[in-house]
Amino acid sequence: MSETNMREFREAAGSAISPGFTAKVFAGCGLDRYVTAVSPLGDVNVAWNACGVTAVRRAGDDEAFEVWYAERFGRRVVRAVEDDPTSTAARAKLRGEQVDVPTDLSECSEFEQRVLRKAAEISSGNARPYAWVARELGAPDAARAVGNALGRNPVPLLIPCHRVVRTDYSAGGYVFGTEAKRALLEGEGMDLGAVEAITRRGIRYIGCDDGTFCLPTCGDVVSHVGQDGYVALHSLEEAHRHGLQPCASCRPVAA
Amino acid sequence: MCAAAAALAPEPESMLAGALAHDLDRAFEHVVIAYRVRIVAFVARMLHDGARAEDVAQDVFVRAYRALQTYSPERRAALRLRSWLYAIAHNLVRNAVRDAPPASDSLEYEDGEPRAAVADAGAGPEELVLRREAWDSVDAAIATLSAAVKPAFVMRYVDELSYDEIALTLEQPVGTVKASAHRGLMAVRAQLEKNDE
Repeated sequence: MSETNMREFREAAGSAISPGFTAKVFAGCGLDRYVTAVSPLGDVNVAWNACGVTAVRRAGDDEAFEVWYAERFGRRVVRAVEDDPTSTAARAKLRGEQVDVPTDLSECSEFEQRVLRKAAEISSGNARPYAWVARELGAPDAARAVGNALGRNPVPLLIPCHRVVRTDYSAGGYVFGTEAKRALLEGEGMDLGAVEAITRRGIRYIGCDDGTFCLPTCGDVVSHVGQDGYVALHSLEEAHRHGLQPCASCRPVAA
Repeated sequence: MCAAAAALAPEPESMLAGALAHDLDRAFEHVVIAYRVRIVAFVARMLHDGARAEDVAQDVFVRAYRALQTYSPERRAALRLRSWLYAIAHNLVRNAVRDAPPASDSLEYEDGEPRAAVADAGAGPEELVLRREAWDSVDAAIATLSAAVKPAFVMRYVDELSYDEIALTLEQPVGTVKASAHRGLMAVRAQLEKNDE
């Protein structure tokens, strides 16, 4: 029969407060928050609201970040005092953990959102050309628009726009710079130098020992070129001559 | 980062008010962190409805923010934050009750006079001693208090605000607040004693 003080009794009624409480308050106030998180490219600022992460940008100059944010999103962002489930999930993903992070892409156009969602499907260790994304979206002529949409990705790293490269498999542009893009891809196990080298030799696809053919950026397939069962292919016709079927994962040709 | 440490240290009311005066947007999360458990608990107890409490409590902070936006820095700096937030919470609770009146019987008549059965439950110290086992009974007893005494009782005996703060919050004279809180205490005690029989 322990006596308890009033504070315990008082706070018991508020103890089950949900972790998203503050985010909802801030949504009502029209204010977003940000924290600085560790990423493969060094410290980044991660901003979020009640719907999800809104922005990822290099950390360093808070004032410049806040000005940029207000201009782009039309809302003020302030440094958060504490993390909540969204920022905690973002930190984990930036550390390389496999977690779902909600993102708020409402500031992007419908087309931009479709491009970003498609980019989000490309798993670590893979890369796809801009034209591939355009084709997958049913707009094969829109490769340049795809590049522009990825260039406006508000949440790089969380949506891995760095995994979309130029059609010649050179890295192409990136919000954090081309060198950072190459470093990220190589850190994920993609041998971009080898891919570029075979592409320069006119090789478009790689036939595999399981009877399929792939894009040279489908996982680590490029490292197998020259091994038994793997053939370098210059064209679709060549793939067909070998009786190979398109890989279901990298979908090298239109369905 | 010092964010975690800042969140752990309780913020004195005057420091928070000063920070709000300096930069409302940056200071506001400190206010939410400092008062959210209290406000959610207060609303939950007043509504006797834990599920709705968070929504109403969120609204308390949003309205507080919108009001603060219209205040001059001097006015923000001079705010007695705690009673001010309780006042907003009290008003929103009143609206919520009006929109969805509770089904429970009141222990008191509409005019606020206690019923004969619980009119005088005997003298005792002006405090409520609680055993953990009695928490649910106390909440049940609070739920039966009339709207005339419940806010003063909860603010005084559960939230442990000063009479001065409660008078500010309810915009009533201190004497009225004391009388209401006392009547609430007697009624809750009577209810608890009835439970023990």
